[in-house]
Amino acid sequence: MSRKDPTFRNTRQRARLRQAVLSILPVIVVLLAIRAYPIITALVKSFTNWDGLYKNDFVGLANYVRLFKNGIIWKLLRNNFVLLANVPIQVFLGLVVAVLLHERVWGWRFFRSLYYFPQIISAVIIGYLFRTLFGLEGPLNLLLIAVGLPGLAIEWLRDAGTALGVIVFCLVWSSLGWMAVVFMGGLSSIPDTVFEAARIDGAGFWRRTFQIAVPMLARVMEFAVVLSVVWTFTGLFPFIFSLTRGGPGYETTTLDYMIYLKSFVSGVNLGEACAVAVILLLIILALTVAEMKATARVDDWSE
Amino acid sequence: MAGRRFTAGKLTIFAVQLGIGLSFLYPLYFMIINSLKSRPGYYTNPFNLPAAPLQFVNFTAMVSQFKILMLFRNTLIICAATLVLLILLGVLASYSFSKLRFRWSQAVYLAIVITLFIPAQVTMIPMYVMFSRAGLNNSYWGVVLAYLAQFIPEVVMLMTANFRAIPNEIIEASEIDGCGYWQTVRNVIVPTGRAAIFLTVIFYFIVMWNDLFIPMILLQKMDLRTVMVALAGLIARYTGDPPYQFAGLLLSAVPALLVYVVFQQYIIKGMTAGAIK
Repeated sequence: MSRKDPTFRNTRQRARLRQAVLSILPVIVVLLAIRAYPIITALVKSFTNWDGLYKNDFVGLANYVRLFKNGIIWKLLRNNFVLLANVPIQVFLGLVVAVLLHERVWGWRFFRSLYYFPQIISAVIIGYLFRTLFGLEGPLNLLLIAVGLPGLAIEWLRDAGTALGVIVFCLVWSSLGWMAVVFMGGLSSIPDTVFEAARIDGAGFWRRTFQIAVPMLARVMEFAVVLSVVWTFTGLFPFIFSLTRGGPGYETTTLDYMIYLKSFVSGVNLGEACAVAVILLLIILALTVAEMKATARVDDWSE
Repeated sequence: MAGRRFTAGKLTIFAVQLGIGLSFLYPLYFMIINSLKSRPGYYTNPFNLPAAPLQFVNFTAMVSQFKILMLFRNTLIICAATLVLLILLGVLASYSFSKLRFRWSQAVYLAIVITLFIPAQVTMIPMYVMFSRAGLNNSYWGVVLAYLAQFIPEVVMLMTANFRAIPNEIIEASEIDGCGYWQTVRNVIVPTGRAAIFLTVIFYFIVMWNDLFIPMILLQKMDLRTVMVALAGLIARYTGDPPYQFAGLLLSAVPALLVYVVFQQYIIKGMTAGAIK
């Protein structure tokens, strides 16, 4: 019996290993074929004048050089960085809303669901709604004219500055509820007695928010911020598409939207599109590393 | 005792919450009232309630001309097929990562999860060319595969975390009872991990229902398009007829909103725990 045991163990272990590997295999095949292979292709093609059909010659760094020389890449980066303004605004408002909801005043569950609802409707819908509201003959301008400020009734989406402002507003409006819900999760792990004690000591709402909640939420905030920053670089396509289409010119075009334009719309140049994709990928990679570090620390903290 | 008192502080908090709440409700209200107006009605005054003959024709035209029911069907087919594959592949891989760990488990797991942040735009061009060669453009399968690759890392992450909480004793007990691989998966893993599976279904249904980029690139045929792709086209074409567009926007938001209203507790709980975005 005891002599037979190791072989029995071995066959069982081998069967287990086979099961373990075969269970993962389908996911690996899918990811290699539909994620890894296209990324490597994009990387290689970013050094060519690829058009998907006939042209496919090595052109060295020409695509990258062109992007930097004609200054387009700076405009795209500028837009991405201006739009990043949505993150601090979201964090601030999300925090205030989370602390308000955490007071659990009558109806808080309803309000939490209500604030979260823009996350449930498509960015296509939200973008169109904001385009309508800020249109030349839109409700906002009608209101401005009605209250005697016709000078302010401008074409909001035709000017780079105001258009980017509208997009930031739109992003804050649609993600505020997400931020608040994430922060509420963090708040609920803080013992109620902490807030209770602060209140008895006479700490007002703002002091409770910024001197007690913020330090205790630091890790959750770090995590939420990096996630939102990555999202600002990768998730804006439907918003830009339905709000401004990247226009006027390239004034509101972001890196991810540029990939779409260069691949499928105007001045199609797949090699150049791949170059933009590689630049975007490098930015995301840097952010992901930061995110992993932040998450690792969140885990340390909660253990 | 003091907590139940109706204090001025609580009243202020309620008022502020109500104010914020109205800013979220108003756009919805704005869409609803204007979707029932005629075109001139909207341009005369977009703020008042619709006048006597309510323009339900905006909604019926969505069904008869915009063929919104066909678009719903297309989207549902894609959602259902993707969800089945996501769950099948996700459960098996996560079972392995959480319970059948081997030497390279952790490394493979990290390699899978790291693809989570690769944006769809980066892989789209080579994928589009690859799919058109394989005859997967203008087919539901192309979109399903693209979604599968996009979402599977997050699903594996969510399910692995969830399955880790399943006690090893239950799995050992089922093996001693003579359960094979598939029986353990079906009788132990799926029932005990159903919370993660359920969250996957509702969360990714909503995400796919609302997605624009992937189906817009991969489906050009009118009859195959998803709701959001058709809606994006509608918005671009009929710029002069907001009431008609509002009707379309409202109708297309209904399925995802229904799922949210019914399952919001799960969604918000999942959001709080896993922080998926």
